[in-house]
Amino acid sequence: MKFIKPKDINNLYETIDNMDQQYLLAGGTDINVQIKNGTIRDPNIIYISHLKELSGIEEENDSILIGSTTSFKDIIESRIIKKHIPLIHSSLQNFASPLIQTSATIGGNIANGSPTADVIPILLVLDAKLKICSKATNREVFLKDFFTGYKKNVMKNNELITKIIISKNVRHKYQTFYQKVGSRNSLAIAKVAVAGVKKVTKEKITDIKLAVGSLNEYPRRLFKVEKYVTGKTLTEIDFNKVDESLQQEITPISDLRSDKEYRYHVCVNLIRTFLNE
Amino acid sequence: MKISFTLNKQKVTIDVDPMKRLLDVLREDFNLLGAKEGCGEGECGACTVLLDGKPVTSCILNAIHAEGKEIETVEGISKTKLGKLIIDCFDETNAVQCGFCFPGFFISSYHYVKTDGEKDLNKIKKALSGNICRCTGYKKIFESVMLACERVN
Repeated sequence: MKFIKPKDINNLYETIDNMDQQYLLAGGTDINVQIKNGTIRDPNIIYISHLKELSGIEEENDSILIGSTTSFKDIIESRIIKKHIPLIHSSLQNFASPLIQTSATIGGNIANGSPTADVIPILLVLDAKLKICSKATNREVFLKDFFTGYKKNVMKNNELITKIIISKNVRHKYQTFYQKVGSRNSLAIAKVAVAGVKKVTKEKITDIKLAVGSLNEYPRRLFKVEKYVTGKTLTEIDFNKVDESLQQEITPISDLRSDKEYRYHVCVNLIRTFLNE
Repeated sequence: MKISFTLNKQKVTIDVDPMKRLLDVLREDFNLLGAKEGCGEGECGACTVLLDGKPVTSCILNAIHAEGKEIETVEGISKTKLGKLIIDCFDETNAVQCGFCFPGFFISSYHYVKTDGEKDLNKIKKALSGNICRCTGYKKIFESVMLACERVN
């Protein structure tokens, strides 16, 4: 096991360019649990919490940029976020617990890639992009294209997420929705989470984005459901068709937190609730 | 690795594995036995301490997270004026049963009373929602924090 604390951001890129397998340590709320239960053994750790370039919230033209090691507490308390992206402010209130919000980071929640990660469905309906950098490269990837499988993503070993980019303008005059269903309010790992934004003009849904967590190997958008309901009024929507599309897009499983039938029904009900709002 | 930080208002430096859990650093290297290990996964709050004034679960933080920061534990805070006031309130409402979770509840309560302090049950419940009491004495714990809010204002 090696432990490295890079002296600056360039040194970080240099370090990960020359390593085969490493874990980046920011808040530590996930990795320390994985080390404790033996999922991660003898890891090479690179500490990144002290690198100022990776944290903070700023406005740049029409976008909000959130540094990947920004804590959830700082995001929840940010005036910029509250003003421009109130969905994030309101949805994260029940993220983990106040104690974990102080340490846990937005980049960590995404990179760890848990199927139940709370922030991902919210960012998916906001069309968020990730800035992914290495020593020699610098690219932007839509979050919807980031995951490739259970805890797998498009990043190479020498890359890291540096920023989360969210447009300020997209969601004006949109109705927003977020519901996380767990066994209790605080410290719950979601059984089902549904996020949505929609625009309704003269009773017709003219634009909608829906995303779900805890129902697939990674949180994802419901493109088929979105396509079916777009352009329709509430009375034109056949909910049997919504169910059909949904069955093609979610693959709920039974585990210690819930069973698949329950998850499926709760998901259907939450989507209906949002469409009816 | 040498790590320096402020612990209960005193500057300290230790030579330690940077990945050692902060909870173990406090308990083993500094003999501060107030913070407890309950779940060891950040869910129960028995290990709560303040890091730069904010409550955190020290069982899922590492020694490196303390570097250059200010750490305050129940041992330090209980000697402050506000700390003593909160302890008195817990005492008067009989809010402590077995006591294992108390150092964690104390830190979260202290942080709430200090930074907000509004006598509002819902806000207090939320502020303490990262701490779990298995004697299930929540009602009295909330009462003691309500009382503390009343006394400071």
